[in-house]
Amino acid sequence: MTDAQRFYVARSLPDALAALADRGRAGAPLAGATWIMRAPIRRERQQGLSYVAISKIGELRNVEILDHEIRIGACVTHAELATSLASLPECRALAQAAGGSANPAVRQVATVGGNLCATKFAAADLVPALICLRAELDLETPRGSERIAVERFLAVRSNMEPDCLLRRVVIPRAARRSVHVRLPLRKAGDYPVAIVSMAATLNSKGIVTDANVAVGAVEPEARRWTRLEADLVDHAIDPRRAAETAEKYSDDFQGRDGVEAPGWYRVKVLASLVRRAALAIQENV
Amino acid sequence: MSLRLNINGEDRLSASDPLTPLVDVLRDEFFLTGAKVVCREGFCGACTVLLDGRPVMSCLMPVGLADGCAVLTVESLALDGVLSPLQRAMEQHDAVQCGMCFPGMLMSLTSFLERNPNPTREDIKAALVGNICRCTGYERIVDAAVSLASSS
Repeated sequence: MTDAQRFYVARSLPDALAALADRGRAGAPLAGATWIMRAPIRRERQQGLSYVAISKIGELRNVEILDHEIRIGACVTHAELATSLASLPECRALAQAAGGSANPAVRQVATVGGNLCATKFAAADLVPALICLRAELDLETPRGSERIAVERFLAVRSNMEPDCLLRRVVIPRAARRSVHVRLPLRKAGDYPVAIVSMAATLNSKGIVTDANVAVGAVEPEARRWTRLEADLVDHAIDPRRAAETAEKYSDDFQGRDGVEAPGWYRVKVLASLVRRAALAIQENV
Repeated sequence: MSLRLNINGEDRLSASDPLTPLVDVLRDEFFLTGAKVVCREGFCGACTVLLDGRPVMSCLMPVGLADGCAVLTVESLALDGVLSPLQRAMEQHDAVQCGMCFPGMLMSLTSFLERNPNPTREDIKAALVGNICRCTGYERIVDAAVSLASSS
């Protein structure tokens, strides 16, 4: 295989799809490459793969803020995302996730699509934030497009067809408050031990009418905490009560053991993170 | 496959495999050994360079993605042997010990201070989250950056 075959820079979406279709299971998209370039550290074999670089495709770098939804191209970097969403309080969870992930240099390169597509990356910051904001994903193949919920994507991403590309993330607009709380070992710069992303819609009396809570980094994949969500609805946001409920329902999660923290610790800190999240929602900061 | 990079203002061609980390191309092909290879996973920042003005971890950047881009390494800072204001500030504050982290520190701060001329101490610390130092405890590095920002 020549260098040009092993590393192809696509200039358009149809070009990328055609290149991926040509390569079949031997091909893979490459955006910011930060996860792929760490493969040797993870002791994963990447030999024989032929990459199709997609980060030069203009439409994948766009953020569109429309009246009814926000569209984020798959190759928008974490830094670009944080800046684009800074003025949208309803998307605070995602702006915080993007602005606080990894470190400044990685945020300049790592993409929202890469964060979603990196399987076996339990501590991906953007994933729980996107779950709590009810994000949907536009997938593109030579045969057409499909929009699916982010949770559905997480379930099928390991078995996607080789010529299927994540084109963009779509977030429905809503009058909600949201927050992203992460616990790294250092103040910043580490993979988080646990993540809680929370979004809530409050009525004029301050009562929660809708709640979405997503937990990341605790288990191998981020997911919603539905029992906690149900308990938050029809009540005013109360950080202490939310933490007590989280403590009560903490056995909903099986913490994963990792080099940076054991599983029991990840579960143990959830109540504290829920309290912080609820406080931020209550104070709308 | 020939890759075109502009490195420290000079157009260069690289014949490296496009998946070669940029840090290895800079060091092994162009003998620019300022950027250091330490963690190879984007945590320590010793390999930080500027790519089209943005700080990036060159250990995680396949050189193929740098094709057509402008790369600035620490070697670009002291033009004609004259230390940059940031380098002078670091020297004045006696901020360097072993030197391993320093090229990355300088590149992160050079970029940061260009975009944020009036940072707080906390802003500077946040900007250095991706640059780990095992020697100094960071405070003199931050002092130097604060002094430079204040004098500007």
